Amino acid sequence: MPDATAEIIEASTRAFVAEVHDGQDAPAFGSWVEVEQSDTGHTLYGLVSHMEMSARAPGRQAQAFGQSQEELRKERPQVMALLRTTFRAQVLAYRDGPAGDDGGALRQTLPPRLPSVHDFVRCCAPETVRALGAPYDFLRTLVQDPDPAVPTDDLLVAVLCQVRDAHGEAAGDEPLVEAGRTLSRLFDDDHERLQSILRRVE
Amino acid sequence: MLVRGTVSVILTKRQRLCYVVCCAWPPVLHRSAQGGAIARPEPPPNRPIATCSTCTPFLATSTPSAPTRSRRRRNAGATYPAPERAAPFTAVATDGSQIYPDRHVEPTCYLINTSRVAFQYGTLETPVLEATPPHFGHHAKLAERLDAELGRVTNEIVSAQRDEQELKALLETSREAHRDDRPLVALADGTLIRWMIRGMDDRDLEEEMIGRYAALLEDFRREELPLASYVSMPGNAELINLLGVHLRMDEAGGAPDQEGALAGLLDRWLFAETLAPGERSATFTSASRIQTRYAEEDRICYFYAHVPAGPDSSAHPDDGEIARVEVPRWVADSPDLLDRVHGLVTSECAKGEGYPMILSEAHEHAVIRAPEKERFYQMIERALQEQGLPPMRRSRKARSKRSPAV
Repeated sequence: MPDATAEIIEASTRAFVAEVHDGQDAPAFGSWVEVEQSDTGHTLYGLVSHMEMSARAPGRQAQAFGQSQEELRKERPQVMALLRTTFRAQVLAYRDGPAGDDGGALRQTLPPRLPSVHDFVRCCAPETVRALGAPYDFLRTLVQDPDPAVPTDDLLVAVLCQVRDAHGEAAGDEPLVEAGRTLSRLFDDDHERLQSILRRVE
Repeated sequence: MLVRGTVSVILTKRQRLCYVVCCAWPPVLHRSAQGGAIARPEPPPNRPIATCSTCTPFLATSTPSAPTRSRRRRNAGATYPAPERAAPFTAVATDGSQIYPDRHVEPTCYLINTSRVAFQYGTLETPVLEATPPHFGHHAKLAERLDAELGRVTNEIVSAQRDEQELKALLETSREAHRDDRPLVALADGTLIRWMIRGMDDRDLEEEMIGRYAALLEDFRREELPLASYVSMPGNAELINLLGVHLRMDEAGGAPDQEGALAGLLDRWLFAETLAPGERSATFTSASRIQTRYAEEDRICYFYAHVPAGPDSSAHPDDGEIARVEVPRWVADSPDLLDRVHGLVTSECAKGEGYPMILSEAHEHAVIRAPEKERFYQMIERALQEQGLPPMRRSRKARSKRSPAV
């Protein structure tokens, strides 16, 4: 799978941590990623909720050298090579088969089995992001059982931006309005909170 | 107790031995009353570095009549400033680590792990940073002998194999990293003089291993891959011993007996007095007997260098150490290659806080830590199990160390 963006290095029912492969760009905060489970054949969908950059080797800590990244690459080439980017994705949906429309129904709930360490992770195509839309059941999980290390509203802003971008301008405001209605119900008509989120999406 | 400043006598000429060292002030070396560390007094301002202009100074460490020696006649007291390292520049380094055979574990097993590092300085090319899996590419004859006597594999044999693997990995990595028209230096850790091979209690095996090491040195020369090695805080006293020889000769000529005063001194203390930060000494030839198996062009030469401890070490001249850098004779015979090695070592130490950065990196990738050692034994256990062999046995002592009760 040469186009894989990352590889899972920690896995649990709710979330997985993946290390971005050398030369690949890390997925954006709040974007959807997919994992084809090698053992079950299911496809898992996760939302990138946290990212980190740190030293690859345990016990080694990054330090300030006072040099630009280009200078570091030229004179201390190991420094950049020994850094790695990892991200945590919350598992929010799965499909009973391979990625794509032919892979069976898309369910916005946790999969029966956890993803496996060393499974590959890819960024989702816009059509997949569109498929992960109404009735937006995954938003309920995000709001009611948030990742404690992540500001929930900022994650919601990023998610709504992804929704808007995946549908494009031609779709108008309709997809966002539908997601906003779901959020409004989840927020118990806390309009101020909803408005704060929508302001940041525009 | 004071070991007097007899080193200060040295501005003398001899027909074959000439040592030119600082003489304008007594470089007195004190040994503490407790017999511990030796402290140096502060040098007076403007201390001159003396050179001998009246003689034809050169240094011969042994058999001075050998014809090749005369080609490198140099001022033995000369010092050379560090040249700038070129860019782009290829630097290669390897290091090795091992798990020695443990007499508390049966069957006997050991591991050698070798790292490979190659940096293309001044470019954005991806560095090589890896540790190769254990590989025993030894000669069939040796393999037979080791198989027959695996229970008798000593730490010396494992160390000798590790040294060979390190040099072999350095050669292979240098070949792969070499780019046309880009200067390269392959930097090894520790000495290139394999004196420790003697002592295996097996003359044939010793000869075989030295022979293979010499063949690797030859490959570096034939492929024109400049090789150097770096010795931190060197404990050598070759030049001090030479001074002893010289003093004995002086004594015959009526000079006072000063030889005893040299006892316990090391070469690096001598050069701590003469080398400014960044500078290197003249290059000398080692007379170690083990080298008789090396080709004449691969005999090991060395210089001392006052390496910087950091980019701003000029502000703290006492920072940084006197290191020993060894090179084969064919490298020592080329002023350009010597400058290249000196430039690299100086730049590496400036970046590595007093120790070559690339060697630190090679060490990091080679080192086997305690959890990895335990994992190695687990893998051996699994392999034995898979092949239906009797399980690994550990002594009661080894087991009690693994799981101490509270």
